[in-house]
Amino acid sequence: MKEITLQMQELARELLQKGEVNVVLGWEKGTFWYLSPPAFIDKPEDVERLVFDDYCHHNLSKYLMDYRYQDGKVAVFLKGCDSRAFNILLEDNQLEREKYVLIGIPCPGMKDQEKAKELGINGDIPLAKKCQDCKYPNPLVYDYFLGDKEAADEAAATREAKAIDYSDVEQIEKMTPDEKYDFWSSQYERCIRCYACRNVCPACNCRECIFDQSRTGWIGKANNTSENQFFALTRAMHVAGRCIECGECERACPMNIPIMLLNKKLIKDINQLFGEYDAGVKVDGVLPLGHFDKNDPEEFM
Amino acid sequence: MKIIAKERLPEVLQLLAKDYNVLVPAKFEGVTRFTPYSGDVELVLEENVLMPPKDIFFPQTEKMYKFKAKNKSLEIEELPVEKEEQLIFGIRSCDLKSLECLDQVFLTKGYVDHFYKDKRERTALIALSCVRPQEACFCHSMGVDPQNGVGADIQAYDLKEKIGFKAISEKGQEILEKISGLLAEEEVSIPSFGEFNLKADIEGVPEKLQGMFEHPIWADISRKCLNCGACTYVCPTCHCFDIDSEVRGEDGVKIRCWDSCMFGEYTQMAGGHNPRPTKKERVRNRFMHKLRYFPERYQMLLCTGCGRCVIKCPVNMDITAIIKKIKEAE
Repeated sequence: MKEITLQMQELARELLQKGEVNVVLGWEKGTFWYLSPPAFIDKPEDVERLVFDDYCHHNLSKYLMDYRYQDGKVAVFLKGCDSRAFNILLEDNQLEREKYVLIGIPCPGMKDQEKAKELGINGDIPLAKKCQDCKYPNPLVYDYFLGDKEAADEAAATREAKAIDYSDVEQIEKMTPDEKYDFWSSQYERCIRCYACRNVCPACNCRECIFDQSRTGWIGKANNTSENQFFALTRAMHVAGRCIECGECERACPMNIPIMLLNKKLIKDINQLFGEYDAGVKVDGVLPLGHFDKNDPEEFM
Repeated sequence: MKIIAKERLPEVLQLLAKDYNVLVPAKFEGVTRFTPYSGDVELVLEENVLMPPKDIFFPQTEKMYKFKAKNKSLEIEELPVEKEEQLIFGIRSCDLKSLECLDQVFLTKGYVDHFYKDKRERTALIALSCVRPQEACFCHSMGVDPQNGVGADIQAYDLKEKIGFKAISEKGQEILEKISGLLAEEEVSIPSFGEFNLKADIEGVPEKLQGMFEHPIWADISRKCLNCGACTYVCPTCHCFDIDSEVRGEDGVKIRCWDSCMFGEYTQMAGGHNPRPTKKERVRNRFMHKLRYFPERYQMLLCTGCGRCVIKCPVNMDITAIIKKIKEAE
């Protein structure tokens, strides 16, 4: 990873010096050793802040929306999941491909920040839960690729073949409707509606979110289990078929709500109903829920 | 000092629960907060709770009154007032300081908020001293003494194996008498407090910010902000709210709810204009409010150094780093 960090810095310096891009989006070290938050580099002399290590969780693609209407190009580092996010933003017509210089980084998986805090810098820190099931650690779209492409492809091939572990979803599926209701009520009872899950999510890219329109009466300002669950379900259904499984919603949640369980359930259902599908892998306009196909199942009609 | 062995603390809480709704720091489903005491709560005494005590006095959602509107007539119905005496055990110095800030807002400058005042008056406070700073604590930099809170009725001391109690107010003296049967008198020394990992040099910052409204620093530091409300909702001092009505037919109820200056809708005006259109203006407002406007109005900072926002911000917006940037800005 040290090698990648040096390559990142070198390429960022070159792009900025040549004036090919105005800003480079990457990661830098944060307040604690297990934090590597987003960094925005616009001067060649600042490139040494850039780092790639075990804690570069943040999906940088979402930030590109802030640069849509600015002049000049933007360079961004993308891990596998970040590249799927970029594709979703392209698919949703939020970004123009030509405006961005994409620098792909093969990702070894990020480590669990909570465990890192608990076990300390010398501890044996496990991969974050969201990274354990990752099928696409390598970037799927890029202009530059850092690291050994061949070795990365080989490592990724074994991952792609691996079946996703849905045991956590199945556990919920086995519950009775009352048990499910109790489970989700108790999770969303503590939601504070800070909207961190929504704001960090690359699939949440609406110009104006339904939850920012309190005058419409769709959702009240009051925080209670019912409104909170309405929020959670609406969001889950809206990102269904576009969730790229970066797991950032769950990591960003300050209240420890298992948000990815909802997303995983929908991914599982989509796979069953419409055939195996991974969001953000291809940009072809064929979305399981956003594309009409005469052969779609319609048992409910 | 009056002391009790730490493992016997539940006996004290049990006894107090006869006279008070006792709220204790406890963990449930991975989140720590003040929770009504019962025998099966998982007490958390090693660190401060994630959710600050502000919601005990200023709930995230609070019903204010009911109304009935028919044609041109309007009837207002007051809601029954809770009378139960409450007691918070284990509030830390930083959070006591936050109550001092909230008191300024809700009780001074010519307007008294009776919703807040009522809860404040019927809630006794037993502070608990900190033994060592947590990773993100920097209360000392904000002028808070982690071992001696200001405004408590009783100061309890974490003496590692034991807990010591010292009455501060008259009310505290009365409470201490209720539990005195469980306590023993012992000479104790308060354990020394460790070094802070995080520090902030706030000296001169409120004054310097007076000339920094248009400074490029705000565009720079706000770039990574997601504009979620996590920082404001876990903050013990953030107190912005919105008043709304829930109306069904002729009947309605006025509610007040926490709001966050990080949200776009917060400053959205009728007609569509938004004076804080991007995250630059919103982030600037949050830090200006904490470090300049509040000190100007109330002569105290609106940050107590509890470190919650540093821990919970999904993108590591760190107020101590921002203070440093303000200090270093040209």
